[in-house]
Amino acid sequence: MNVQPDLEFIKYLKSAGGDTLKKCYQCATCSVVCPLSTDTKPFPRKEMIWAQWGLKDKLVADPDVFLCHNCGDCTAYCPRGAKPGDVLGAIRAYAYTFYGWPSGLAKLASSSKGLPMLIAIPTVIIFVLWLVAGGISIPSAEHFAAHGYQQFFGHWNFHWLSKNVFIIDLIMLSAAGLAVVSAFKGVSSMWKGMEENAGIKSEFRPTVVQFVTEFLWPSVLEIVQHTRFRECKENLDRVQGHKPLMLSFIGLFIVTAWSATANDVLALIPALSFLHGPMSVWNPVKILANVSAVAMIVGIGILWMNRSRKEGENGVTPTFYDWFLIWEIMAVGVTGLLAEIARWAGLAGPGYIIYFIHLVSVMMLFLYMPYTKFAHLVYRTFAMAFERYRESAFGKNPINM
Amino acid sequence: MDKKYCAYICTGCGIGEALNIEELTKVVTSEMAMDCKDHSYLCGADGRAFIEKDMSENGVNTVTICACSPRVMQNEFNFGDDKITVRANLREQVIWSAGAAEEGKEDAHQEWLQETASDYVRMACARAKKTELPEPFQMETLNKEILVMGGGIAGMTAALEASKAGSKVTIVEKSDKLGGKALGWAKQFPTKLPYADLEPNSIGEMIAAVEADGNITVKTNTEVARIAGAPGDFGVTLKAAGSKSEWDAPAKVGVDEQDLISQGKMEDPNAGLRPYAEGNPDAQKFGDVVLATGWVPADVSEYTHLGYGTNEKVVTNAQFEKMAKDNQLSGINSVAFVMSPGGEEHDQDFPYCNSVTSMVALKQAKYVRENNADAKAYILYQHMRTPGHMELFYKGIQQDDGIFLTKAAVTSVVAAGTGCTVTAKDTLLGEELNLDVDLVVLAAGMVPTTKIENTINLAYRQGPAFLDLGLFDGYADSHFICFPYETRRTGIYTCGGVRKAMNMEETIDDATGAALKAIQCIESADRGVSVHPRSGDKTYPEFFMQRCTQCKRCTEECPFGALDDDAKGTPLPNPTRCRRCGTCMGACPERIIGFKDYNIDLIGSMLKSIEVPEDDEDKLRIVIFACENDAYPALDMAGMRRNKLNHMIRVVPVRCLGSVNMAWVRDLLSAGMDGAMLLGCKYGDDYQCHFVKGSEIASKRMENIGDSLSTLGLEPERVRSEQVSITEYDKIPQLINDFVDEIVDLGPNPFKGF
Repeated sequence: MNVQPDLEFIKYLKSAGGDTLKKCYQCATCSVVCPLSTDTKPFPRKEMIWAQWGLKDKLVADPDVFLCHNCGDCTAYCPRGAKPGDVLGAIRAYAYTFYGWPSGLAKLASSSKGLPMLIAIPTVIIFVLWLVAGGISIPSAEHFAAHGYQQFFGHWNFHWLSKNVFIIDLIMLSAAGLAVVSAFKGVSSMWKGMEENAGIKSEFRPTVVQFVTEFLWPSVLEIVQHTRFRECKENLDRVQGHKPLMLSFIGLFIVTAWSATANDVLALIPALSFLHGPMSVWNPVKILANVSAVAMIVGIGILWMNRSRKEGENGVTPTFYDWFLIWEIMAVGVTGLLAEIARWAGLAGPGYIIYFIHLVSVMMLFLYMPYTKFAHLVYRTFAMAFERYRESAFGKNPINM
Repeated sequence: MDKKYCAYICTGCGIGEALNIEELTKVVTSEMAMDCKDHSYLCGADGRAFIEKDMSENGVNTVTICACSPRVMQNEFNFGDDKITVRANLREQVIWSAGAAEEGKEDAHQEWLQETASDYVRMACARAKKTELPEPFQMETLNKEILVMGGGIAGMTAALEASKAGSKVTIVEKSDKLGGKALGWAKQFPTKLPYADLEPNSIGEMIAAVEADGNITVKTNTEVARIAGAPGDFGVTLKAAGSKSEWDAPAKVGVDEQDLISQGKMEDPNAGLRPYAEGNPDAQKFGDVVLATGWVPADVSEYTHLGYGTNEKVVTNAQFEKMAKDNQLSGINSVAFVMSPGGEEHDQDFPYCNSVTSMVALKQAKYVRENNADAKAYILYQHMRTPGHMELFYKGIQQDDGIFLTKAAVTSVVAAGTGCTVTAKDTLLGEELNLDVDLVVLAAGMVPTTKIENTINLAYRQGPAFLDLGLFDGYADSHFICFPYETRRTGIYTCGGVRKAMNMEETIDDATGAALKAIQCIESADRGVSVHPRSGDKTYPEFFMQRCTQCKRCTEECPFGALDDDAKGTPLPNPTRCRRCGTCMGACPERIIGFKDYNIDLIGSMLKSIEVPEDDEDKLRIVIFACENDAYPALDMAGMRRNKLNHMIRVVPVRCLGSVNMAWVRDLLSAGMDGAMLLGCKYGDDYQCHFVKGSEIASKRMENIGDSLSTLGLEPERVRSEQVSITEYDKIPQLINDFVDEIVDLGPNPFKGF
């Protein structure tokens, strides 16, 4: 291997929470205590020296970097205070920026310097659309009681697609679409890099169905069940936060999907037109929505406290990468719940403003997903799929097996 | 001195219960014709007063203490310089080593025990009769000035420390200025917390301190031609550096070589030089010498795969230091520091490295980085040695973004483009590495000057250099682990790079120690006592020259080169060079060398005092000459552990196996005793002999005596030489039993009763 250390990469890792990486003296205590490390492919010792040597290309295509759940066992046991867990976090942060497309946006999302811009982009887009479409009018109390936020962007008499839905779809679907394209590109190039590093020549490829059923779906199941997360010893509390949070996202996904279907598809059938309009509090879907919203706030709250405590007690370095996602999800949860409360209370003015902020925060969540810590959603899932793939027949030389 | 004897038997510590004290007293009073008293607690205040009362009231001045080992209670039984104390070891080596009686042999066991105790009491009394009060050797003149050879960190520190203690010092420096190797350093290692940053070179401050010190004389451009004499009275001839002088120290010429020279078959290596024994009237007088001539960078061109000497982009750490000092690092953006020659066979660093090159590589990597913020420094090590506080230095250097460390075996360095490609395997990165660098720096070691030249230039019979055991890679011989600073030339103390590859901080500590030893040595010479390892010993070997046959054995065998000789070969003793081991006494076939309290007659009388029963196979007598340094304490320890020692042995302590004269062995065998064992320190690669050569010489002598025994009709197996280390006390009983069993198999000595 011809080695060309990348000093800029080292500098970045140090700024992004990996400031201790150079301390590692390769004793491999981390690899021994890591509950996820395997005997045949141990980590994170080797990641530490690759990081010390600035070997960027090796690290961004290293599945082990993404398999790490940052439980902190290694950091707790490290005799030199090198904090391998934090270093791996920094490497992941770098990798998301590295794979992010478009790169300008990815770069913007990588540090706190970009924060004003990160907030400004969705704020301006939504504000302008609000201005153009609805003229920013605060509704009367009766109107607010009857329609809630359903005519936030105004109303037109086009039966098949309400104005509000049109504009929200326009915003959110484009943001999510961009995120999906970016994530797809990122995951593809990560996968290619991992294959190269693992020496896998893809002469045989699984079909899409095979890929999903054999590699992807088992990984998703494992993630949902938090199997690996539970193996952590030092920060088991994080499971208590992460699990409700993740379930709340699944819940809210179902609610959103149902709402869209009910409001915009089923309600078109005249017999089902009652599906229009805000749901009753006792509607099962609404119950799911409210439970999920609370779970989201509770979950992210636990993670918030957990991280603050770790920073206080264990000297974990606070990073924009970690906190941005926590703030963002908290903002989504809190504004969503407050908007609902405002509706119940009939406070149209504050409600509309809160709802505006809610839309901004949701758009941020979607738009910046591939570049922020939220990206672990896809990258870790696919790294876990790759781990299975690597161990399968596809990952081995079929002739010399 | 008129000796008035009295023996005292202590009945404490179980001695009174285990032995019949009345009978023991009878042995002393009747056989040895001495007064004898017993006391239940001799080492207590009461016991001491009991003895002192005899001394003051009855004029007793020579006491035999029959109690514990002579290794313990030394202060309690020290009655002053004008009294003689001899000890019989009844506790550790008799009652504690007795073991339990065999079934049905209780009576015999008790009888054997009493016989053993009686013999030890006899030997002690015999010794008391033969011991004389020592009178310390007094030199006519004594010079206390210390000569420091070498004006580097080690030499200057030794000079400054000796000066602080009030000594006068002269520093002799070959080059034109003080400072030594340190003058060439761009920066130096950190010396204070947090041990993170390189410090500006501080050698200037040390030079200024030396120059300002009124006790220190500095002679630059000067070398030592020869050092003659002995501690307290060394005559040193100085000369201009690089010049030749008739007073240069002559090489050793043996008898055979001298024959060849006189026949004209060999060139005289000492042509034009004054003989070693000739004194230079103009020589400057010194008390002793601190040798701090340092080191030279090692040649690493033998490692051809690294390309030193053929590839100009491969330099040594010494050269790189010069480049840094001369600000020649511009354009160097990547450097690989190679700490070990690598290769298949071993993972050793370059020779003569110790831990210094590890730290030098860390320092020089920092130069690379400080010179250019984008530069990269790779350190490829097999061992990263950063002792003590320097671990913090290592940690600090490790923090640098552009310094990359890995354990690695460097397999090749080849020229590539304007620089080199370094290939290394077995790295921490898990695969083979190829590094493209501008420069490769090899961690060459520090070769001591003693490896290259005589350095010390002694005008001694045994030659101008330190004797080389071939064990220490050219470092000056000494008992290296136990006794730093010591060399095999009394009054010459090494420190700094000449003793070990060491960094500045270690050198300063080392030189301080050497200065202390040098002062100690002069003070000991002044008081006429020995230096290490028999520190404070007032005796010294005395020669009855009228009977000397000029056989030269003593002059050849003295491990410390204390004996010179005249043209005929008569030894010329230098008591202040002597370490009092007695090797000369053991060597002398004429038995004319002895000490006041340790000589041929004294030990011979002790042996004669041993009772030799006739015709009893259970009562053979086997003498063990045990070295006082390791073997005798090991025997004591065996007793403390209540390990049983065979009842047929009698232990005689000796200063060193080298001092065992074969006459004793012959005499004891002709007196009817059945065997003799010499129990001494290990020799060879991990030798532990305090006098370096004693046990080795003794083994050789024992081989020779074996031959002469067989001509007498005695089995050579009756004598044996064994080595034990002090920790092997648990093996000694078996070792002795095996030997006793063999003697029992041979049967009693046929000379018994003659």
